[in-house]
Amino acid sequence: MFDDPLLWARLQFALTAGTHYMFVAFTLGMAALILVSQFSAVLRGDGARMAAVRFWGGLYAVNYGMGVLSGLVMELQLALNWGGLNDVFGHVFGAPLAVETVAAFFVESTFLGLWIFGWDRMNRWAHLAVFGVVTLTAYLSAFWVLVANGFLKNPVGFEMRDGVAVLTDPVALVTNPSALLAFGHVATSALLVGGLVMAGVSAYHLRRGGDPEGMFRRGVRRGVLVASLALFPTPAVGGAQYALFGAPPTSGTTLAEAEIERIEAAGAGTAPVLAEAGNAVMVLCWTVFLLFLPVALLAWPLRGLDRWRWLQWVLPVMPVLSLLAGVGGWVYRELGRQPWAVRHHMTTAEAVTELSPGLAVTSFVLFTGASAVLAGITWWLLVRFARRGPEGGPLAPAPPPDDGVAVPVHTY
Amino acid sequence: MESVAVLFLVGLLAGYFVLAGCDVGLGMLAPYAARTPAERRRLVFAVAPYFLGSEVWLVAAVGVVAGLFPELEGEVVAGHQPLFVALLAGWLWRDAGLWLRGRLDAPGWHAVWDAAVVVGSWTIALSWGLVLAVLLGGGTLSPLSAPVCAVAVAVLFLLRGAAFGAERLVPADDRSGADCAASADTAARATRVLARAGLVAVPVAVVAVWVDGGVDREAAALAGAVVVVGALAATAGLSGPHRSRPTSAVAMAVLPLVAAVGGRLPVAVPDSGSATLVALAAAPMLPAMVVGQVWLYRMVRRPAASSGFFA
Ligand code: HDD
Ligand code: HEM
Ligand code: HEM
Repeated sequence: MFDDPLLWARLQFALTAGTHYMFVAFTLGMAALILVSQFSAVLRGDGARMAAVRFWGGLYAVNYGMGVLSGLVMELQLALNWGGLNDVFGHVFGAPLAVETVAAFFVESTFLGLWIFGWDRMNRWAHLAVFGVVTLTAYLSAFWVLVANGFLKNPVGFEMRDGVAVLTDPVALVTNPSALLAFGHVATSALLVGGLVMAGVSAYHLRRGGDPEGMFRRGVRRGVLVASLALFPTPAVGGAQYALFGAPPTSGTTLAEAEIERIEAAGAGTAPVLAEAGNAVMVLCWTVFLLFLPVALLAWPLRGLDRWRWLQWVLPVMPVLSLLAGVGGWVYRELGRQPWAVRHHMTTAEAVTELSPGLAVTSFVLFTGASAVLAGITWWLLVRFARRGPEGGPLAPAPPPDDGVAVPVHTY
Repeated sequence: MESVAVLFLVGLLAGYFVLAGCDVGLGMLAPYAARTPAERRRLVFAVAPYFLGSEVWLVAAVGVVAGLFPELEGEVVAGHQPLFVALLAGWLWRDAGLWLRGRLDAPGWHAVWDAAVVVGSWTIALSWGLVLAVLLGGGTLSPLSAPVCAVAVAVLFLLRGAAFGAERLVPADDRSGADCAASADTAARATRVLARAGLVAVPVAVVAVWVDGGVDREAAALAGAVVVVGALAATAGLSGPHRSRPTSAVAMAVLPLVAAVGGRLPVAVPDSGSATLVALAAAPMLPAMVVGQVWLYRMVRRPAASSGFFA
């Protein structure tokens, strides 16, 4: 079993994609919250609020680095391990990924560089606008990736010519309900993640009694509010996807009905069971939020958000659950698609590159290992900076230069 | 449509080599140009905000290959798995080094990530040399041309990095970098040596590829090599870094052109549906792409300041 390259390629994809998604969900959710915070700080010209933006922005930037690194692993992995998919569906599946890299990530990363570098060097409104671009393009990134992913689940807009899929209807590809609903669900659930992260970290500091200039009191409120706003839209858009489980409209154009039935009858091993487990994790986590968030909202007018110790113990656990729910959701989506890589057109076994077992294992060890090490370091740093608070954070202002001590002053 | 797409891809790659050549090359030079802890820290400042804007060119190029030229991906990438695995691994660890180095203030931590930056940068440059050898050799790595191409490309990266470092490592106004002035001088001096090394390495690589019987369209590819050598010659005699920045840029930009023209690439016509989607979706973002790149580039043209996120 372990000399099967398919197994290694799938395991590698699942582990690295799951890691990637946790950082991406944090990015998407926090970007929106930071944008609002920075807007309010700039509007009031309030230094205390700006210090808070520096704190959250520092966490954001540390997280973003790992989002990019794990994304690079994903991209090359698609090229190296999933050649069968590329050979047949490359033109269709690859086109939205090309748009993502050219039109979204290109701008996102450049402007994030500007934002990090532009502290104290840029007009504050320009600096705010730069982060506006970062936020917008982060969501644009997610949209285009999900167009590619939605195609795998509900393939539309193409024709088979000489055994190769050709994109005939770009509009159908982009308005694929499987992509639009997934985007709505990913965006709302990312806001849930962002809100709970901000609330959880703030609650931790309130419990410890440190609240420089009220930033964590504002943080816990803003976080709870955003998470509560996202609470119902999340399952509303997500639940709408249950309706997409019928055969895709293009079913039967590549493989005959009988062939499809034969493949599906052969089953997908343990995948369906694990998929249902993923679904259960997601829904269960949401149920916890459903029970908990109204209590937090009630505590607000009672001034309990700042004072109730038990609340401040529970809140920091919530972001962990939200990330767990996200990974559960992906396990559900991806494993639920098995045995198909492109539903009713190509099986996962056909999608994989013909790798030698040795190479498959090497690639697995190298990239899954690197992902795990780097993700572990990044999480450790995130927790460390989150606990340390605004003092000495990654984006904290530079200490004033200690004039003339170490540096010789040339007076001649 | 087809030639527009090919030009777009070559343009993205040229942008990558010209812009990322600076930060990759300076990373390769680190053990030589930055010896004290303060100098190493400053070298990371010099590279760090900048690499965010330079590597996106490669990410975009990879995306365009995947979306518009999947055959190319199958042919080139899948045929040389270990090479691209090495390239990605180098890229990954170098970036990790740049992102993580400044996060902790401990000498051991700095040493680990400095090493990742240096080894990663060398791996990237040498891997690109091998990729060039594969493309020019018609899909095979020959024991003759492969190492020679790798060396020649590495020298060009080093030259680009040295030219960049000669400007970026100059102490900033706030005097905070005054104790690091030696780095800028070292990089400046290196430009001349490296340009001369390139004057030897590039012609040798051309001959090696020739002997191997590679290179499809000789005249065009040779013209590319002549441009590189000319650019190098223009820098080699000068004592300082004066013209090495534009000349090294020309040399880097020619690399993907030589590969595209001289390699026997199985570039099929991109599908009109896919090409239309990419063009229509990318067009509205074009102003933001240009503004962001120019803005970032202008900001980092000045000597690196001494504090910030990355180091
Ligand atoms: C904070 C994260 C989070 C939470 C609380 C939920 N989900 Fe979810 N869910 C995701 C995060 C997520 C996700 C990771 O973002 C997925 C994976 C693919 C996608 O579109 O979103 C997903 C997928 C996903 C799918 C698509 C499966 C497929 O396409 O095969 C459905 C039907 C649902 N979810 C339904 C729900 C329902 C009914 C929820 C609440 C009761 C719920 N999700 C809570
Ligand atoms: C980022 C969150 C994602 C997670 C957690 C995730 C999870 C998974 C998992 C668990 C598998 C393995 C299935 C198996 O064992 O067979 C898988 C496979 C795969 N996924 Fe995803 N996925 C994610 C996003 C995506 C996206 C956005 C795409 C496309 C753009 C995608 C494309 C694929 C492909 C091509 C495979 C291999 C074929 C297959 O096994 O079906 N995934 N993914
Ligand atoms: C097979 C699946 C995926 C691949 C191949 C992939 C590829 C990449 C790559 C290469 C990067 C870094 C550069 C870039 O954006 O192009 C990246 C980052 C990013 N990805 Fe993915 N990705 C995948 C899944 C996802 C999913 C499911 C989402 C969101 C729902 C997503 C959203 C993002 C965002 C927002 C970034 C920016 C970095 C960050 O903000 O952390 N990606 N991805």
